[in-house]
Amino acid sequence: MIAERVLAGDAIDEQSLIDFLRSRRWFGSKAEDLAHARVLDGVVVRSQPPMLVAAVAEARFHTGMHELYQLLLGLHAHDDDRPGDVIGASDGWVVYEALADPGLARELVHLMRGESTIRGEDAVVEFRAANLGGYGPDLSEARPLEAEQSNSSVVFGDELILKAYRRLEAGINPELEVLRFLTELGFPHVPALAGWYSYSGRLIDSTLGILQAYMPGARDGWELAMDEIGSSSDRFLARLRRLGEVTGELHGALASDSLDPDFAPEEPSSESLALVVATVDEEIERIFLGLPEDERLEPIAGRGEEVRERLRLISHAGPLGRVIRTHGDYHLGQALWSGEDWVVLDFEGEPARSLAERRRKRSPLRDVAGMLRSFAYVASAVQDVPDGWEERARQEFLSGYFEYVEPSIVPPAGEGRERLLEIFELEKAVYELRYELNHRPDWVGIPVAGIARLLES
Amino acid sequence: MSEHWFERDPLWFKRAVFYEIHTRGFFDSNQDGSGDLRGIAEKLDYLQWLGIDCIWLLPMYPSPLRDGGYDISNFFDVHPDYGTVEDFKALVDGAHRRGIRVIADLVVNHTSSDHPWFQEARSSPDAPKRDWYVWSDRNDRYPDARVIFVDSESSNWTWDSTANAYYWHRFFSHQPDLNFANPEVQDALLQVLRFWLDLGIDGFRLDAVPYLFEREETNCENLPETHEYLRRLRAEVDSRYPDRVLLAEANQWPEDVVKYFGEGDECHMAFQFPVMPRMFMALRREDAVPVYEILQSTPPIPDNCQWGLFLRNHDELTLEMVTDDERDYMYAEYAKDPRMKLNLGIRRRLAPLLDNGRGEIELMHAILFSLPGSPVLYYGDEIGMGDNVYLGDRDGVRTPMQWTGDRNGGFSRADFAQLYLPPSLDPVFGYPAVNIEAQLRTPTSLLRWLHRFIGLRKEHPVFGLGTYEPLRAENPRVFAHIRRYEDDVVLCVHNLANSAQPVELDLSVYAGRVPEEMFGRTRFPPIGGLPYLLTLAPRGFFWFELREER
Repeated sequence: MIAERVLAGDAIDEQSLIDFLRSRRWFGSKAEDLAHARVLDGVVVRSQPPMLVAAVAEARFHTGMHELYQLLLGLHAHDDDRPGDVIGASDGWVVYEALADPGLARELVHLMRGESTIRGEDAVVEFRAANLGGYGPDLSEARPLEAEQSNSSVVFGDELILKAYRRLEAGINPELEVLRFLTELGFPHVPALAGWYSYSGRLIDSTLGILQAYMPGARDGWELAMDEIGSSSDRFLARLRRLGEVTGELHGALASDSLDPDFAPEEPSSESLALVVATVDEEIERIFLGLPEDERLEPIAGRGEEVRERLRLISHAGPLGRVIRTHGDYHLGQALWSGEDWVVLDFEGEPARSLAERRRKRSPLRDVAGMLRSFAYVASAVQDVPDGWEERARQEFLSGYFEYVEPSIVPPAGEGRERLLEIFELEKAVYELRYELNHRPDWVGIPVAGIARLLES
Repeated sequence: MSEHWFERDPLWFKRAVFYEIHTRGFFDSNQDGSGDLRGIAEKLDYLQWLGIDCIWLLPMYPSPLRDGGYDISNFFDVHPDYGTVEDFKALVDGAHRRGIRVIADLVVNHTSSDHPWFQEARSSPDAPKRDWYVWSDRNDRYPDARVIFVDSESSNWTWDSTANAYYWHRFFSHQPDLNFANPEVQDALLQVLRFWLDLGIDGFRLDAVPYLFEREETNCENLPETHEYLRRLRAEVDSRYPDRVLLAEANQWPEDVVKYFGEGDECHMAFQFPVMPRMFMALRREDAVPVYEILQSTPPIPDNCQWGLFLRNHDELTLEMVTDDERDYMYAEYAKDPRMKLNLGIRRRLAPLLDNGRGEIELMHAILFSLPGSPVLYYGDEIGMGDNVYLGDRDGVRTPMQWTGDRNGGFSRADFAQLYLPPSLDPVFGYPAVNIEAQLRTPTSLLRWLHRFIGLRKEHPVFGLGTYEPLRAENPRVFAHIRRYEDDVVLCVHNLANSAQPVELDLSVYAGRVPEEMFGRTRFPPIGGLPYLLTLAPRGFFWFELREER
């Protein structure tokens, strides 16, 4: 009864749902634009109390545009007590955020292990396993991660990590697609895919989440940089060289199957580079149009036309190489140092772009540029960076990369390649500028410096 | 795993921007001089960038091509010049992965005289398919049915010496009309729809729908039997193929066209033909009245239906739905060279029609995008391609897409002599001057402007779904209206004159709101109780969001 009421959108009053969405880190749009919210559909995936509902909610904006989000809703009786933020209450039941409840988070893994297919009235949720048998049955320790991100993650017993996608778009999530591809290939530098679950129904077909191997004790490249640049700078530079090699191997692996249309490398069309340049140029134009008054923006304020001029100067870059599936949002925070080698995470692509955009084949140099930008972040964030550190980091990473990457997918060495990298770095810096303005204004100086530096060069 | 790349949305077409492609003219992937389906698939990145939602393909079926493929000789295959059914499927799949849908032309009214059905029908009075076409031993039945292709046909009947009878055709004499009174024909065409729908196509533009049935003492257009058959097609689509669209080509007056929506149970969309010539008229006369009037005389349509709006397409700019005086005016203004006329229309592309005036081209797009309906763009018009009036029939507006300034405009690597039509080398409109690559690289180009404009429209469902509320100002040179949807209120003001114009608009019901210009996000003074004064540049326009201060 109560589950039906949740699915019919009756159990949670609209204002509570709006407040809940607005307070979530993973809610992607501006809080003030949100006009309406409601649960549209869902499937009861556990029918014993506490119940678990995988629901699709609509966030509707003042313009009439909307976004769909996955809600994992727990339902417990009033007199019970479970961890997790309360979203609503009705008929003696409490509706709450289920991922904070270890019992319900575990349930999702059990369902994957059982390869369950659960039918609701208008939809099916399918749970699937991939080599899940290799992990221990004990999931006793379930620990939600508090990281800043657009998804929700839970770690189980330092072995597995569940990642539930929040913003839902039609089609397979590129992360599932790429992880499955690389796991089947036996590529060693990604945490193996262990399972996934997806929704297909009246509203949408969409990947809801994945389960993959967790790397206990591993630190991401960003943390490692913070620790090692001051104390053991050379060791860290050697690791960046290794990261370049691993990145080259990653691109080689992604380009290795010419028979799979989703992964086969392609020759770019004659207008490909012009499309890239036009896209970057419009992003520059748009961001400079709405640049707020802020002294941290001083170095680039009013200089939009100069930036566009610079882009035009470098826009005749020559051959593009080939276009392949890429990481899509590559930076130091996406690479884990396991203690012995690098492992690459998070193949979703930039969260602000549409799924069709994130799945698009692109030049692998776009990932390389993303990583190079990330070195600029490190150079700004670390107190006592040695002189010339960023330049040396770039050289180490690039020489490792170009030594290991399959040469046919990148442009030949020379000025054209450097220009192409510069175009992608500019694109990334503009993306960062928008992201920081919207989410982390304290960081805005880093992309500002990156763009200003380009103007001086 | 999911092969569905769209949210379920039975009304997707109401927010969509359509893009019409002549397959032969878009891109040649196999260097035979003729564009093909793989060629379109290779250009999907461009179309994704452009931001269009749905491709409309001109007929891609086997055909003797005596009417640009609208003379179909096999409904279940692809013309060998264009590729194979597999290529078609690959194009649809590739487009879907990029969030783009695909519809195609389908001619149900008639076939080519080469179609095996007609060959069988003419072979003997006793042939099983004899009754699939309309035969008569006299050529004077249905006398009230007009001749449509007045430049090439003198009668709707043509004598066939093999059949020893006259056959009925509303278009060219090589396009015999199918006999929809025969239930076998009705079923056969339903099979055709199913075949392509099963391949994943997102719908059809149904060519020449008003003419399916014939009856004495009528003009044989828009008959109730025709509507009944469309309801049957729609019921089939709704029951088995969700989120597909039927788009009617019915070049008729609005009160007749709206009947093709039925009660939301016939076609999802129909072209709004009469509004288009009136936009051109309004521009030349510097007078908004023709546009206001045609919209006023357009009846409301069911909520689940939508108008298709366009400036130009693959046919002549049709002047069937204007008065004789209006037609004379249009010819005098837009077809000064008699070669530019064809049938009851003008065979020119958008940019040359508007003397390549950038302000005029932008203004016409602005009006088009602001009107209630879904805009349909014609390939090449986004860069301002020209036409070639020295080519026959409508070929002048179907020349190869101009991709680059390289050989053959980047359209094909075949020899120039092999090309299906010569790409334009006109000093103003030809590919060395007007091409996609150059315009992509030029921030101020028409292409880049239109790309941003499409993006803007897509951020505001109001343009596809909202109300239309005309705002008649005293200055007749200004076309102004309000669109409203949910909390979004948009004010569109267009100056049709080639001189700066002031306009005072009564916006008092929106007092307190702040107009924010939608391109540059500049905030204008808040609306008060007095008339709101705006000054517009020559051929200038403003779109404002009327924002409530939250």
